[in-house]
Amino acid sequence: MTLVLAGTVAVLYAVGTYLLLQRTLTRIVIGLALLGHGANLLLLLAGGPPGEPPLVGEATSGVVSDPLPQAMALTAIVITFGVLAFLLALAYRSWAVSRNDEVEDDVEDRRVAAGKRASVHDEEVGQ
Amino acid sequence: MPAALLGLHAVVALAAPIAARRLGRRVLLLCAVAPATATVWALLHASAVVGRGEAVDVHVAWVPTAGLNGDFRLDAFALLMVLLVSGIGTLIFGYAAAYFPATKRDVGGFAAWLTIFAGAMLGLVLADNVILVFVFWELTSITSFMLIGTNHREAASRSAATQALLTTGAGGLALLGGLVVLAEAAGTYSLSGLLTAPPGGEAAAWGIALVLVGAFTKSAQVPFHAWLPAAMAAPTPVSAYLHSATMVKAGVYVIARFAPAFALLPAWRPLVVGVGVATMIVGGYRALRQHDAKLLLAYGTVSQLGFMVVMFGLGTPDATFAATTLIVAHGLFKGALFMVVGAVDVQTGTRDIRELSGLRHRMPVAFSVSCVAAASMAGLPPLLGFIAKEAAYEGVLAGELGLTGPLAVTGIVVGSALTVAYSLRFVRGVFAGPRAAAVVPRERLILVAPAALLSAASLLMGVAPLLVDALVNAAATAAHPEWETYHLSLWHGLTVALGLSAVAVAGGAALHASRARVERWQAAAPRAPSASGGYDATWRGVLAVARRTTGVVQNGSLPLYLMVILLTAVTLPGAVLVADGEWPTATYTIGSWLQIGICLLAAAAATTIAFASRRFTAVLLLGAVGYSVAALFVLHGAPDLALTQMLIETLSLVIFVLVLRHLPSRFGHRPQRIDRVVRFSTAALVGLAVFAFSLVTAGARTAAPVSQEYVARALPEGHGRNIVNVILVDFRALDTLGEIVVLVTAALGISSLVVAGRLSRHERRASAGDST
Amino acid sequence: MTSLILETGTRAVFHTILVFSVFLLFAGHNAPGGGFIGGLVAGAALVLRFVAYGSQDAARTVRARPETVLGAGVFAAAASAIAPWFAGGQLLESRLWALTLPLLGTIKATSVLVFDVGVYFVVVGLVLAVLVTLGGELDS
Repeated sequence: MTLVLAGTVAVLYAVGTYLLLQRTLTRIVIGLALLGHGANLLLLLAGGPPGEPPLVGEATSGVVSDPLPQAMALTAIVITFGVLAFLLALAYRSWAVSRNDEVEDDVEDRRVAAGKRASVHDEEVGQ
Repeated sequence: MPAALLGLHAVVALAAPIAARRLGRRVLLLCAVAPATATVWALLHASAVVGRGEAVDVHVAWVPTAGLNGDFRLDAFALLMVLLVSGIGTLIFGYAAAYFPATKRDVGGFAAWLTIFAGAMLGLVLADNVILVFVFWELTSITSFMLIGTNHREAASRSAATQALLTTGAGGLALLGGLVVLAEAAGTYSLSGLLTAPPGGEAAAWGIALVLVGAFTKSAQVPFHAWLPAAMAAPTPVSAYLHSATMVKAGVYVIARFAPAFALLPAWRPLVVGVGVATMIVGGYRALRQHDAKLLLAYGTVSQLGFMVVMFGLGTPDATFAATTLIVAHGLFKGALFMVVGAVDVQTGTRDIRELSGLRHRMPVAFSVSCVAAASMAGLPPLLGFIAKEAAYEGVLAGELGLTGPLAVTGIVVGSALTVAYSLRFVRGVFAGPRAAAVVPRERLILVAPAALLSAASLLMGVAPLLVDALVNAAATAAHPEWETYHLSLWHGLTVALGLSAVAVAGGAALHASRARVERWQAAAPRAPSASGGYDATWRGVLAVARRTTGVVQNGSLPLYLMVILLTAVTLPGAVLVADGEWPTATYTIGSWLQIGICLLAAAAATTIAFASRRFTAVLLLGAVGYSVAALFVLHGAPDLALTQMLIETLSLVIFVLVLRHLPSRFGHRPQRIDRVVRFSTAALVGLAVFAFSLVTAGARTAAPVSQEYVARALPEGHGRNIVNVILVDFRALDTLGEIVVLVTAALGISSLVVAGRLSRHERRASAGDST
Repeated sequence: MTSLILETGTRAVFHTILVFSVFLLFAGHNAPGGGFIGGLVAGAALVLRFVAYGSQDAARTVRARPETVLGAGVFAAAASAIAPWFAGGQLLESRLWALTLPLLGTIKATSVLVFDVGVYFVVVGLVLAVLVTLGGELDS
């Protein structure tokens, strides 16, 4: 267990969270990417101490790092990439349509919050 | 074979909408093939199942380790239910083809849903796996929803359908919970296995209580009965099939299956008999107030379902036998009566007994059919209903039931008296009276023929009980192993049961004779809180609470949502972590100098991002973080990860550049919804929680890593030396398969988003061209 | 924004990188590599090509449509997952074949290789989809 690694994970999570709580989609995407890095490191940390690469027959010292968290982290990295690309496409589209890349408040939700009826179709069921 | 039958129903249902384009309403006759085949199949097995008491077991393994299997079992009780479900079903399909006008719209969709229902009901009575029971149970609820809402242009139909779905759906959830609890307690998900070795203990008691709630909602027991009368908004074939002959008996069926094993639990009999008796009386009482002949029958059904619940619920062999007879009798007479009401409705355009008059002259066949069926319902000899009721009295009197015995007897006598009264009210209301002025067209025999068949069966089986004797006895034995054959007969001598029957009939006749006074009294009586009122109040309450909660929780701001989620994640598990977490005794190292250097770099780059005001700066810093993480992977002994991380980081940078070239170089300056200090503190809290979490996880390992097994098996079984790769493509390949599907989805999402964006730009260009 | 040096350089290395990515894909079972990494390397080669030639020229030379590549990948992976069923085995069960070929000697091939090839194609398809859509008008 390496303290400095745990500290790095904490910083990555904190900055990621900070960026996530903003309006700008670009910042949100970057925040998600940081959270992804943090999560992958955390997976490795939780898996146990470092060691030699998990290749059969090549370890010399006998201490091999745990392969399962590595497999999980590997898929996580690629998934994060897919999500990232999707969100960037979303940012691009948001820019192309409305000339900003910000996450707006949901109008319908605001109306409900203001105490107005959201729409007609939840009324009828109650009759 | 059961699977093939279910498949046949599915295929027919799929074909129905297509065939309907050419056949019109006659498509219903085509659909009748499915239940007819099931009936024939059941009859073919009759000699083995009924005659020799065998059971046909079919086992289709699916996920055996999770107890999920396609287990079907045709014992005599299931066979009796199949004959009811599919036999009456076949008649209903024929009846429906005559019932609907030739111009009915979307008859194909209706036929499809009705066929799916027939298949679901068939599956339900054949299923021998509790999860399968639940699946078919829910399928009947959903098809019932669709069928009640057939006339979905009318608000009443829609709300009735919703009410039925919500009530039976909530009950279905209770059933699922109960079944899972019981199956876990018993250690088997097989229904027959569960019932032959019933689990005990507190968990089983809760499980069975949940199962009962499910059964009560489905079989319209007090206080969940309001949906059944409301469901009369459905076309009459649906009411006759689902809401009297079959689906509402699903709850009764489940009680019948579970009662022999669980009736001795202390709470079972008081609960089930109490609810059943209450339902009998409430249903009968309400039936006496109805003017709509169909509603009258619906409340009658509620009452009769209560009767069946009482009888099966007693759980003694004698009572089970009586209830089995009753379930047959009820299917026959109630199906017939509903079909007659439908015919009357089609021919006269009304079902109101205050408007109907003198129909016995215009519809003589329907009149005689109704007389027989109503007499069977009232329990008059020589009909099957009478035999069933006699058996019921005998059954209750024979058992040692303590206080529930007298309660059940009283309930049945009062309920039967009410039944006699509303049977009379029905026949007199619909058919008696002077010839009405309105001209009624000639009776269409095709509409009454199916009902006539059912009534004839009531009569035949009453006169010659031998016809059903073997079936009912075998079914009762299948439901209750302790049952010993007893022959049904019309005449048992002057017994107490006969006396009770006479009392009930006399009481009912008296009630009917003084009907004017009864009606006045009913009108004057203070209105008891009605179940439908209860449903409405519950529903309105749920909606109001939902609206208020939504208003507070869903205020439309994404950052606020995220903050709520994150703070919950920090405080709840965080508090548990601090209070209860096992702080590790593992030794910590600070890390090598190289590691410290890289970590500092990553942390510094990440922190700077938070303050970057240019997009490109932020992205470049993100790249720095990514490459540092890749370096940390190398140090940890994960070359595959490091390679992937490097490549991904490079590709991410390229994509960022591709998108950012369209966006302004600086971030916007709109005020944020959450104050900077709040955001900062939330982020710090999250960071702290994660730090604590990573410390605890390091020392939390209690078992040997599962990957040791992977390491050992990689070469001999996975045939690879790179264990990470072997895990990805072999040991955990299903996860990877799911993952690449996610990647494909993301890729398709990107394509559609960007292409749609291009289109709108083209449009903008086009409109700009127009304006110049 | 095409540059002569980049274009020539790309022409020199593009196919080399592709071959290398295939090597990583097949070597991945025994050494670092595999479908994900191989696919990403191939994706990097595509990026290089798109940047060097401009998206329109590159799209003309790389004729595979992203949907086709993605579909082929998922199909290969799913087929290799389901195939053992038809051979009477379990879902995703792996098989090992030892083939003795002239000149090459004995070659061991496992059925999961097909699965890994599917992964490879999906990753390539994702990168290609990004390049074709977001990378549009690179030259403008």
